[in-house]
Amino acid sequence: MAMFLLSESSSGYLLLEVHGLDEIGQNTEAVRSSVSDLSRFGRVVQLIAFHPYQSALDALNQINAVSEGYMSDELRSFVELNLPKVKEGKKPKFSLGVSEPKIGSCIFEATKIPCQSNEFVHELLRGVRQHFDRFIKDLKPGDLEKAQLGLAHSYSRAKVKFNVNRVDNMVIQAIFLLDTLDKDINSFAMRVREWYSWHFPELVKIVNDNYLYARVSKIIVDKSKLSEEHVPMLTEILGDEDKAREVVEAGKASMGQDLSPVDLINVQSFAQRVMDLADYRKKLYDYLVTKMSDIAPNLASLIGEMVGARLISHAGSLTNLAKCPSSTLQILGAEKALFRALKTRGNTPKYGLIFHSSFISRASAKNKGRIARFLANKCSIASRIDCFSDSSTTAFGEKLREQVEERLDFYDKGVAPRKNVDVMKEVMENLEKKDEGEKTVEASEKQKKRKTEEKEKEEEKSKKKKKKSKAVEGEELTTENGHSKKKKKKKTKSQDDE
Amino acid sequence: MRPPKTGRGGGGSGGGRGLARGGVVSSTRGRESGRGRGPGRVKGRESEPGSGIKGGSKVLVTPHRHAGVFVAKSKADALVTKNLVPGEIIYNEKRIFVQNEDRSTVEYRVWNPHRSKLADAITTGVDNIWIKPGVKVLYLGASSGYTVSHISDIVGPEGCVYAVEHSHICGKVLMNMAEKRTNVIPIIEDARDPAKYRMLVGMVDVIFSDVAQPDQAKILSLNASYFLKSGGHFMISIKANSIDSTIAAETVYQMEVEKLQMEELRPTEILHLDSCEEKHACVFGGYRLPRKQKADSAV
Repeated sequence: MAMFLLSESSSGYLLLEVHGLDEIGQNTEAVRSSVSDLSRFGRVVQLIAFHPYQSALDALNQINAVSEGYMSDELRSFVELNLPKVKEGKKPKFSLGVSEPKIGSCIFEATKIPCQSNEFVHELLRGVRQHFDRFIKDLKPGDLEKAQLGLAHSYSRAKVKFNVNRVDNMVIQAIFLLDTLDKDINSFAMRVREWYSWHFPELVKIVNDNYLYARVSKIIVDKSKLSEEHVPMLTEILGDEDKAREVVEAGKASMGQDLSPVDLINVQSFAQRVMDLADYRKKLYDYLVTKMSDIAPNLASLIGEMVGARLISHAGSLTNLAKCPSSTLQILGAEKALFRALKTRGNTPKYGLIFHSSFISRASAKNKGRIARFLANKCSIASRIDCFSDSSTTAFGEKLREQVEERLDFYDKGVAPRKNVDVMKEVMENLEKKDEGEKTVEASEKQKKRKTEEKEKEEEKSKKKKKKSKAVEGEELTTENGHSKKKKKKKTKSQDDE
Repeated sequence: MRPPKTGRGGGGSGGGRGLARGGVVSSTRGRESGRGRGPGRVKGRESEPGSGIKGGSKVLVTPHRHAGVFVAKSKADALVTKNLVPGEIIYNEKRIFVQNEDRSTVEYRVWNPHRSKLADAITTGVDNIWIKPGVKVLYLGASSGYTVSHISDIVGPEGCVYAVEHSHICGKVLMNMAEKRTNVIPIIEDARDPAKYRMLVGMVDVIFSDVAQPDQAKILSLNASYFLKSGGHFMISIKANSIDSTIAAETVYQMEVEKLQMEELRPTEILHLDSCEEKHACVFGGYRLPRKQKADSAV
């Protein structure tokens, strides 16, 4: 009775054959000693086939199937291909050892190969696991661990439902890049101004904005060719016809030196670069706004995307921001002032990064601290909702914003604000109503689906009745009919209930 | 907010990693530390304020009896491990920087016995933890990865740690940690069912179990039958109250030991951890130890 072993690993499936060890009449001690000794084990168990996984995705599918105890298609084809064929009607003269009975029964059902998973098989599989690198000669020592590492990470990510869109790292990187870009664009723009001023110094005084300067210099190129034709184009950029005329006038009376064509080309390409960078910065800002609304919608609707992103990046991650108390959130960004004040026992700062949100500037000087504390409290609530909630709505953020507005009104005019409990209840009710609305829509759609399914089922049943011919199944028919009638009754009842 | 013990900006409670990292980096370098005197002894400098070890004080780091573990001596002693990923801290632990003769800095992370049962066992004085550089460890009940990170420091790049944790919240933190340390393999799965993750684990040398479940002896023995090599070792931490809170702790330990012995997990040491926790014990032992060399293996 030949015996085979199926071993699943991170790099692929292995099929091995067991020689010379008979199951009956072997006690486990003898099996164990042969397992632990590598050379003896190598003679007892030999590799027949190895099927590596095609890709990381394939490996993930395989491990999902294996951990549930099902047999995937790849495993089925691998097993059928490499084991002796099972002839119809005849009992096969071999058996396949597997790690657990569930996958064994799946394999048996599909391919009629008898499987077993007892102590004996277990011992042998231990040996296979131990001496794995001897069986697969191509693998280098660290390869198996790397395969295990990659597969474990993807499997675990799937388990915790790792959502790629809600990764806050993107926001942190984006905000750092935004700051760097701002500095760089500024320094490049200054350089363009200086460089082009060699040729056309008066332009600097007329056009103050860096971005506009770069565009204007691109259009003008050589000031000696400046004429009335350029006025409409310049007007388009500058937005002011007078200024455009001023530019043309200054160009005619300019004291700057002429530049050779090559030099001009260089300046132009540099100016073009600056413009491209400025355009990219705009796109990056839009990207940041989108990302913030994905990962922290409530925080973004409460204090704005920029301030929200800065808070997240300062704390290190959204989870860190959610974990820290609101008093910390209030002075995030003012650590130097804080610890200096604590050391010298002076006054601690009232606000850190939060200062840049619009609310603080709207409060009077006396109330800035109070609004800062209130705002920090609401930001804490918003960040915690964003971090730990599964759904992604801005309902809470908007209500919290209203609360801050109300508080500002209170300080201005004395209008009493609503209590937080009431506001939050309102939000929850609104969300429930929305959910119910969606559910009724879904329910009506489900009813329609069920009706069409019922019709299809009735058609199938009538077809089956025609095919069946044996007496036993005839009896089942009548019971089926009874059952099907009952089922119909149940369905109509449930529909009535809904 | 309470003022920190010394005037450095790293002690804030909020802000998390961003703040702590900034504080530590700003305080390194600067001062000369002493040269190495004897074999393996180098003088170091503490970077942050902490229990007993004040910022800027001179600290002596010596290897512990267990390979891969070190002791930092100053006013108060602390157990440390060498950081596998210099510059990264996991959960705001303190770090110790030591300068070698060739001007390179070695970074050590402090290991807190109040948070980790293994550190508690080492400070209580266990004979052998069986974890050294290069071994493969299966850790059941990894939680957020605190002890796992220290074990990963000890086993180094040649060894690896398979960390099994069932909870999703802890699992996320564990996975973040594992992304930085490539010798930690995170497995978010129930340890009761080793068949489910049999594709992810190779044969290991040591199993650590800290699951605190009433059937933990069975969990350990099942995992051992799948993954622990013959002649390998295990450590299991027993919390008397989670097995049976009505009977005395000693009885509980005895019951667990007997259950283990039935499954060929032979205990060699039972350690009562009373310094940091109460009603906890650690059992160390071996799996399928060869009978003839019993005298040699029970080191």
